[in-house]
Amino acid sequence: MAAIKRKQREGGSFSASSMADITFLLLLFFLVTTNIDVDTGIGLVLPEYVPPEERVDVPISKERLVNILVNENGDVLLNGDVIAIPQIKDRLKERIKSKIDLPKNKKLIVSIKTDKETNYNIFIQTLDQVELAFAETREEYSLAKYGKKVKDLNDTEADEMKENVYKVVSFAEPEVVK
Amino acid sequence: MKFEKKRASAKTEISTASMPDIIFMLLLFFMVATTMREQEIFVKFILPEAQSVQKIENKRLVSYIWIGDNERIQIDDNIVPIKKVQDIMYDKRVNLPSVIVSLRADKNSRMGLITDIQQSLRKADARRINYSATAKM
Repeated sequence: MAAIKRKQREGGSFSASSMADITFLLLLFFLVTTNIDVDTGIGLVLPEYVPPEERVDVPISKERLVNILVNENGDVLLNGDVIAIPQIKDRLKERIKSKIDLPKNKKLIVSIKTDKETNYNIFIQTLDQVELAFAETREEYSLAKYGKKVKDLNDTEADEMKENVYKVVSFAEPEVVK
Repeated sequence: MKFEKKRASAKTEISTASMPDIIFMLLLFFMVATTMREQEIFVKFILPEAQSVQKIENKRLVSYIWIGDNERIQIDDNIVPIKKVQDIMYDKRVNLPSVIVSLRADKNSRMGLITDIQQSLRKADARRINYSATAKM
């Protein structure tokens, strides 16, 4: 009988050099598939709710107030003039600038009032214009006074800038429908 | 006098054996750091566009309200009626006093509904609001 020759086995080993490639692939897969969705938007703080019976009407001089009315067709009325939405910014900027040197209780108040049927998109466009007007005025003020951009200001300068270009955006109290 | 340059006798090769370990570490970091929990959204909406959008820095504080194109309101994982919004938001506000409410509303919503929600939020004293919008290019 012929002896069955056993094959000599060598010590089993595999090359680990491709391991790095495999893990890289996994890493890339995770990097690509995970979406870190950041929420962007226009941030505001709503006014405190006061029950109707406790409400006190504070008279505000016409000088300070900018009334923006938006109807259901998307027409915009700014202090009585019909204007297009992209014009709001420039109109507001003038008003804000004229009030930079005034004390805080004389700064501009922007009030936005919409109809029940107004499209939300138009409201956001309007709000965006108002925000832009304040943001751009702040940017110009900061460049003129400190010679740097708003984001480069230090805390005290930023506070001072915010005091001078003071932002008040208010929403009209909804009226009770009878 | 003759100077002889010293030559390094050791092999100048970086061992790549620990490369997989390093990359595994990276991989693990990414796997842990990315939140996989995605909320299922039952309403259909397209966000409006705006120019002066800001990022919300602190994601932990954010609580979402979705408003779909058929005027359905979703908070967390439920569709809720408008009357319930105040109570739910009040609970959230109690648990997390500095909660930011992000309003992810469809751009064709009626302002009537948005105003109702705003009023509910004011009554619930959850007054930090964010009108979610995508950045316009």
